[in-house]
Amino acid sequence: MKRRFAGPLLLGIPTAFLLALFVLPLVSMVVLSFWRTENYHIVQDWNLGNYITLATGGAYVTFLIRSLVMASIVSMVSVAIAWPVSYAIILYGGRYRLLFTLAFAVPFLTGEVLRVIALQGLLGPLGLINGVLLSLGAAPLRFIMYTNVASAIGLVYLYLPIVVTVIYLSLLNFDARLIDAAKIFGASPARAFFEVTWPLNLFGTLIGFALCFIPCLSATLAPRFLGGPNGTLYGMAMAQQFGESGTWALGAAMGVVLFLTSILAVLAVCLKVDLRRTGFTGFGRG
Amino acid sequence: MYITLDGVSRQYGDIWAVDRVDMGIGRSEFVSLLGPSGSGKTTLLRIIAGLEKPTQGRVLIDGVDVTDLPPHKRGVAMVFQEFLLFPHRTVYENLAFPLRMLKLPRAEIEERVAWVVGILSLAGLEKRYPNQLSGGQQQRVALGRGLVGRPKALLLDEPLANLDRELRQEMEVEIRRHQIALGIPFIYVTHNQEEALSMSDRIAVVRKGRVEDFAPRTQIYDTPRTAFIAQFVGRSNRFEGMVEADGTVASDCGARLAIPASGLAGGSRAVVFVKNEKLRLDPAGTAPAGATCLPCTVKDVILRGAYADYILAFGARELNASRPRSERAFLAGEAVTASFDPADVDVFDSAGERPS
Repeated sequence: MKRRFAGPLLLGIPTAFLLALFVLPLVSMVVLSFWRTENYHIVQDWNLGNYITLATGGAYVTFLIRSLVMASIVSMVSVAIAWPVSYAIILYGGRYRLLFTLAFAVPFLTGEVLRVIALQGLLGPLGLINGVLLSLGAAPLRFIMYTNVASAIGLVYLYLPIVVTVIYLSLLNFDARLIDAAKIFGASPARAFFEVTWPLNLFGTLIGFALCFIPCLSATLAPRFLGGPNGTLYGMAMAQQFGESGTWALGAAMGVVLFLTSILAVLAVCLKVDLRRTGFTGFGRG
Repeated sequence: MYITLDGVSRQYGDIWAVDRVDMGIGRSEFVSLLGPSGSGKTTLLRIIAGLEKPTQGRVLIDGVDVTDLPPHKRGVAMVFQEFLLFPHRTVYENLAFPLRMLKLPRAEIEERVAWVVGILSLAGLEKRYPNQLSGGQQQRVALGRGLVGRPKALLLDEPLANLDRELRQEMEVEIRRHQIALGIPFIYVTHNQEEALSMSDRIAVVRKGRVEDFAPRTQIYDTPRTAFIAQFVGRSNRFEGMVEADGTVASDCGARLAIPASGLAGGSRAVVFVKNEKLRLDPAGTAPAGATCLPCTVKDVILRGAYADYILAFGARELNASRPRSERAFLAGEAVTASFDPADVDVFDSAGERPS
């Protein structure tokens, strides 16, 4: 008897949880995006006004493109840093492997705002880097003072631990003896990496990429504190609709756009990658 | 010799996993490295493959010193216990991998894969992924991947350990057949004496990083050089005792054992092995002339098909005899005389060496 209820129960709880806290809010956001706001009041007449504003208002398109470029670059840089770091932990971490991986997550303990402000202290005009340069009589590095570069550095800093953890776990599950097999059959170490190690960890790498890309797209804090005048990103602009400007319906429409963009990005990757070619066996036998 | 190991040693911390091994392996020889787990036989194989560097000594393949060559430049192939097929590649691609690394033209790759698919009866499986194959099929693909590149030598690391008994015996015959057909050396690591005995030309018994003996398989089985080999290869009854002045051995279990002239001094300790199949059984009361006779009671009979294994009680200890079913059968509880000829025993001194 127990067995018959265990399955539905174990799957039912997260289903109910998702329905209540994810699907319902999402539906209400979609509905709200087709209404409009006037003087801090929601007016319930169905229209496409918000979407027309987003498509034609040059600033919003700019923000979206800038966000996409930013998220892509930050995710690629994070993956590029995370790979050698995770690989080194696997190779040389010995019994302290887990500790090294967890060490990356230590900044999480302080909270996102604090971490971004700490970075501001490092990169800003009077920050540690430029302060030292100025006191040495050198010119300060302008490209890290309230620019998109500063924003990108902040985002890499914020999301790198997640990417490292994901790629580390992927490498941990990877049977390194397959590298031996590749070498025995004539592959140089570099060739063995591209024939075996990379494809078999591609799935994990993509998950790491997505877990960095998606939050970057809707990032608000890093661009706000580090990005400067030309650093407005989509997520930051969206947050403003719910804050200062009180245009909730427009904000909701932006949310829908972000959601769809993220899904499209993930779908595009999934369609391009044949999971079988990554050694993914989640399909079972057959 | 086609493959030469010259004083090869490998140290891990304070432990010598491989200790001053010298071996020469012929151009088309099937050699088994037989030893218990942890004896260093796999390390030795990995040294030949180049996956492990010897702390001391040299490895020569076909007259070339390959000690410092990385594995991908040695031209040897390997079959692993866990198969280690590339899970993200189809059977065809797994088989084509060594050929792609050799940068062969496409047509030749197709031709050679087709050849190996033929000799290993893998037809129809080319488009499957490894996780869609049975264990036996996976091992055939692994064997095919080892043969397809026509390597200088094929190294096999317990390749049949993960297969069930019936499949294992089938594969033993097949592996040996391919080795003879290709005429390249196979070096076969196993802890299973049956596998080593069934396929090898010569067997190297490995113990604690050293090669205890390296000899033709019949010699390893029939005249083991040390007590360790006598214990490890075949099934035997082991007696320990004191050499008497008349040259017999008074065993600790109370028997007096006639042994061949051994050169062991009276009063020294000796270890005597009698193989299970050399222990003859007769009805109680009969005493074959010249043999050592031990009065026993049958405790249990285990049928093995063509053979019956008898578990006998001799005083407080157990003896084992293995007799063909064509002989007279005995039942549990029956009194019997177990006997053996002095010529059929292996005698070792207290250090486990054959006395000279």
